[in-house]
Amino acid sequence: MQVQSMHFKRRASEKLDDALLQSNMKKAKGKFVDGRAKAVAEFGPWEELRSHCAALRDRVIANLDAYLVEFERNATRRGAVVHWAETAEEACAIVADIATKNGVRTVTKSKSMVSEEIALNDRLEAAGIRVVETDLGEYILQLAHEPPSHIVAPAVHKSKEQVADLFQEAHDRPRNTDIPALTREAREALRDDFLNADMGISGANFIIAETGTTLTVTNEGNADMVTTVPRIHCVVTGVEKVIGTLEDFASLIRLLPRSAIGQTITNYLTLTTGTKMPGDVDGPEQMHIVLVDAGRTKLVGSDLEPMLRCIRCGACMNHCPVYQNVGGHAYGWVYPGPMGSVLTPAYVGLENAGDLPNAATFCGECAVACPVKIPLPDLMRKLREQQFDRRLRPWGERAAISMWSFAVTRPGLYAFLSRWGARVASWIGGREKLIHKLPGLDGWTKGRDMPAPAGRTFRDLYREGGR
Amino acid sequence: MGARENILRRIRAAQGRAGAEPTEGEIAAVRADIARRVAGPLPPFARPADRLAQFLKECDRLSTTHGQVASERGVPAEVSRYLASQGLPPQVVGWPAYAGLDWASAGITYDARPATGSDHAGLTGCFCAIAETGTALLLSSPAEPKVTALLPETHVCIVREARLVDTMEDAFALMRAEVGEPPRATFFVSGPSRTADIEQTIVIGAHGPYRVHVIVVS
Amino acid sequence: MKVGLFVTCLVDLSRPSIGFATLRLLKHYGCEVVVPETQTCCGQPGYNSGARDVARTLARKVLAEFRGCDYVVAPSGSCSGQLKHATVHDLFIGEPDHAEFVALSERWFELSDFLVNVLKVQEVPGRVNGSVTYHDSCSGLRELGVKMQPRYLLQMAGAGIAEMEGAERCCGFGGTFSVKLGEISTRMCENKCEAARASGAGTIVGGDLGCLLNIEGRLRRTGDHATRVAHFAELIAGGEG
Repeated sequence: MQVQSMHFKRRASEKLDDALLQSNMKKAKGKFVDGRAKAVAEFGPWEELRSHCAALRDRVIANLDAYLVEFERNATRRGAVVHWAETAEEACAIVADIATKNGVRTVTKSKSMVSEEIALNDRLEAAGIRVVETDLGEYILQLAHEPPSHIVAPAVHKSKEQVADLFQEAHDRPRNTDIPALTREAREALRDDFLNADMGISGANFIIAETGTTLTVTNEGNADMVTTVPRIHCVVTGVEKVIGTLEDFASLIRLLPRSAIGQTITNYLTLTTGTKMPGDVDGPEQMHIVLVDAGRTKLVGSDLEPMLRCIRCGACMNHCPVYQNVGGHAYGWVYPGPMGSVLTPAYVGLENAGDLPNAATFCGECAVACPVKIPLPDLMRKLREQQFDRRLRPWGERAAISMWSFAVTRPGLYAFLSRWGARVASWIGGREKLIHKLPGLDGWTKGRDMPAPAGRTFRDLYREGGR
Repeated sequence: MGARENILRRIRAAQGRAGAEPTEGEIAAVRADIARRVAGPLPPFARPADRLAQFLKECDRLSTTHGQVASERGVPAEVSRYLASQGLPPQVVGWPAYAGLDWASAGITYDARPATGSDHAGLTGCFCAIAETGTALLLSSPAEPKVTALLPETHVCIVREARLVDTMEDAFALMRAEVGEPPRATFFVSGPSRTADIEQTIVIGAHGPYRVHVIVVS
Repeated sequence: MKVGLFVTCLVDLSRPSIGFATLRLLKHYGCEVVVPETQTCCGQPGYNSGARDVARTLARKVLAEFRGCDYVVAPSGSCSGQLKHATVHDLFIGEPDHAEFVALSERWFELSDFLVNVLKVQEVPGRVNGSVTYHDSCSGLRELGVKMQPRYLLQMAGAGIAEMEGAERCCGFGGTFSVKLGEISTRMCENKCEAARASGAGTIVGGDLGCLLNIEGRLRRTGDHATRVAHFAELIAGGEG
């Protein structure tokens, strides 16, 4: 997907003024957060579970190569073909090649953020293949020609009226704004494709080294059909998704749906191991697993390595006050919110996404919510350090930090500057003690006054034995 | 093989190891780690005093309805009662294992074949069921196709009480003991399909079944 | 008991009254208070801008300035988080003086936490009439566990607490964030102001001047000159003398 993250500030500004988006975001607000809070509270040893799962993810990452090779060996033994792709282009080429060689005309897809990342649909469509997104949210967005704005609830930015408009045009049926009726309409529209597609493409929430298994976690049942009905099943997933054992999965699945939507478990979990077995009446004849790097291995051994633990639950964005105000599209690439503010610069380059690590107050809600204890604010700060060291921030900002650093490390100078700063600012504040405009600080004063300083510094008053 | 080699080499270099392939020793260490099967913490309700009660409580929470019968012979009557209560026709497509039950007396037409997109109700058994989450575990096999649980709008699932386990870990242990490796599809069903993709409003019945009815055989 | 007062740069520059209120409180409870004259800033603006070196320099400066104090107290959760948390868990890992920062961290307290959990005060000198609403600032809450402490103190002063919805949600200040991404910051602040007003309390109270300047600035810009914005120290310390 094309990167627009360098325009974060402008895009965020547009989103703040988008009344429809703001109203749609308000409707969703709180549902995820309250649901998660309730599920976590009734679980009991939640902190122990978080620690356990963070540790098991770290254990794999510390031996990622060996786990991947063990996965490959077991998956191959069960009849799957494992492909490796270093880049988005390579991954797309592999999938397109499988499709073309097998005469595939229609592909059904279940939700896969990796496929969004590598823009797989565009590539397949260019090869003349029809691609049908089957997750309801993704289906809506395919009709709207939009990328997802949330990694779990891709169409969270759309209202039912907007969905109704899209369906009316696509399905040639009377317009309907009843949500259950819209859901049924999508089910009916997609049924034939589910049953007749030549190839199913899914992502994988995890892949299991022990058994060579790939798996999907869904509520809708779409992934379960995509991985079962077509004669070819292709999994596109990131190299960091590997875990050790079925037991590790059992622990992680206690975290994932609770963190994502406050459910104890999703309605469906499909663990897929290899191809159709002798005598089976369902299941694919060919199974392909494409392991995608596309920047992931760069994180191994780096400051950002904890990001590889991410299980894509979306809790960080659900709890992020910045995300909740600007929505996912402002972030300009596939992954929004705090996890996106780390992943996007890491994958597409810090110079292309410079505002993202700065789009945080470090309020810390994401770090508390993250089920695998990724220290997201710390990782964003690491990226800010890289920006500082590589002089990637605007000139004015760098100059301000330099001048501030010079002053605060020299107490005499600092006392002098703050004495006069307090006086001048107090004078500017006037009788109402409010500063309406300050040069260099219009980011603040555009929407807020600056309450003026009292006039004398604490330091001076204290020295005089005052007050 | 270029991509594979480069990816593995990059990981190894970042972790201070040479070469593009893990050594036999490293693979052995991973296998030893896997064999340890470190268990994670469980919530208190994962070890319930009354396993069946816990299972049914979770079924309720997931909108799975349930009935209980004393033996498999009682299944057809319960299916008939259930279908009638939902206003559904007395036709079922199901796994061959249940074809021998007396469906005719209960007024039900039973087709022992994999379900297709046009069937209304599918009947399956399950390998075992999990009390912690109200989940049925289905393992695919020639006589136990997954599609029957997925394509029809109604899924009726027979759970033998003796096959009820506490947790997913227990289910995996049972699978290893009785089946060995996971079959092609290891399918966990916890209630009817749902979505909240439009305005975060939960709708029961997305692409999978609208109704899941569990029949517990004591 | 010798207590060092870390005034904070914002209080020094903008609201000395908060510093003096803190001073009066500490003296009221019998502390011997020292105020090192060379103190400037905790270093957080540098730390969060990616300038680790200056953050380290300032932390070492603070360490030296408060050597010999039994405790160090600051009327800010944010600065306290920087000296209690960032130093120990990040900036000085593997440095020779890490142990000294661990020791400083154990002696360092945010004001309300110090009064409630160290001094275990049972009364406060100030009186507050009517109800207030309390904004939990992020560092204090999530790094230091400051939640009930300021509320207890305000209740001791006679205040009723009218909780706002989302009291724990960030007000949008975020230090340099408030300038770098001003529009988002302003919107977050507006949400906070709306929630605070809806609580029905006439006074918004907090424990970090940064948040308070942000909230007050937004209220005034939107024409609200009635809602009072105050640091809890000013309310519980009572008048002079």
